[in-house]
Amino acid sequence: MISDDELAERLRAGDEKALRTAYERHGAAVLYLAQRLLSNRADAEDVTQLTFVAAWAGRDTFDPQRGTMLAWLLGIARRKAIDRIRSAVRDDRVTATVRAQVAPPEEPERPERIVDRLVVADELGRLPAEQRRTLELAFFDDLTHPQIAAVTGLPLGTVKSHIRRGLANLRRRWEVDGAAFGSRSAGASRAL
Amino acid sequence: MQHLDPDRLVLLALSEETEGPGESGHLNECAVCRHELDALRTVADLGAESEDLRDLPAPPEHIWRRVEDGISGETPAAAPLERSVRTRRTRSRWLTPVLAATAAAILAVAGTVTVDRFVRRAPAETVTARATLAPLPRVPGAAAGSVQVLSDGAMRIDVRNLPLTTGFHEVWLIDPDDPTKMVALGNLPDRPVTVLPVPPGIDMNRYRLVDVSDEPHDGDAAHSGRSLLRGTLTY
Repeated sequence: MISDDELAERLRAGDEKALRTAYERHGAAVLYLAQRLLSNRADAEDVTQLTFVAAWAGRDTFDPQRGTMLAWLLGIARRKAIDRIRSAVRDDRVTATVRAQVAPPEEPERPERIVDRLVVADELGRLPAEQRRTLELAFFDDLTHPQIAAVTGLPLGTVKSHIRRGLANLRRRWEVDGAAFGSRSAGASRAL
Repeated sequence: MQHLDPDRLVLLALSEETEGPGESGHLNECAVCRHELDALRTVADLGAESEDLRDLPAPPEHIWRRVEDGISGETPAAAPLERSVRTRRTRSRWLTPVLAATAAAILAVAGTVTVDRFVRRAPAETVTARATLAPLPRVPGAAAGSVQVLSDGAMRIDVRNLPLTTGFHEVWLIDPDDPTKMVALGNLPDRPVTVLPVPPGIDMNRYRLVDVSDEPHDGDAAHSGRSLLRGTLTY
């Protein structure tokens, strides 16, 4: 698997295959974010398309030093989705009185939280296999350290250090790429 | 002051164990440990929430095909598009004789029209250039338009069957030799014929590509990248 840096270089050089690789690698996350923000499949697909077209047009603005490609793409997608929500709100104002009768949908999740989760999920997938496995048992199966040691057959001390290092890796990625810190990774590409 | 042990912070962040009284006291006092625990807790929560994201379905091929369509045209955007510029140049070299012939034909017709108009109308109505607007690949084929540049600097635009928009339609003049260079002329109200003033001093030989775009109401004055119709002005 080629690295983000290499992919960025090929993208900047105008290699359409690099965009295809980015789509295969991150298209699902972009579509997921769009769908969560727009709760409408057709709009989410539009936003996904717009995101990759904008990424292509603005490929010069991606800087691997500032964040990963996933964070950059999610930043674009988030803005495209918000643009779409705003214009939909404007259109809806006319029919607002009618819609006010209908119970409001449940409080939508903040886009930052969804972006953070996608970034952490991506990093989890990149961890060394044993680190990932122990963290997954802790996160998804809610197992304690001794239970994880029993399930995996690893010594308790190893489980401990896997979890501590794994969490530290996730945290570093979240701090670099997460939406809470997103101004660093998303700022430069506002024009997209 | 003795900070909490890193392994201990991990256990607390994962809620595997709860704080002892001494630890609670320390966390109340110590901003460093509190910050560490908060960060680890957030990351652990995000990790726990990420279970559904492990096996997201592969992104659909039909969206990719639309991406390909979207990047194949000469999308005017902030960044230079070396590829499309190159394609355009090649094409325009190839098209030059054809365009010259067309231009000559149009000049002949325009000449007739001009004479006609001088006789019957005010001279301000003289047409100095015109373009036929054709839909871009992703736009419904019925969309079309025509443009006339009048000698008083106004541009008359006639569009039909534009796809509906949640934003508005905007008219641009683009330099086809450098699609990053463009001038916004104004937006199209919802009626078939619009007259927009062309800012004085614009070199219409250079900015000869007329573009109608679909713009969202995002407060961003730049071109959205979604072009609907295009045509080149001929004189």
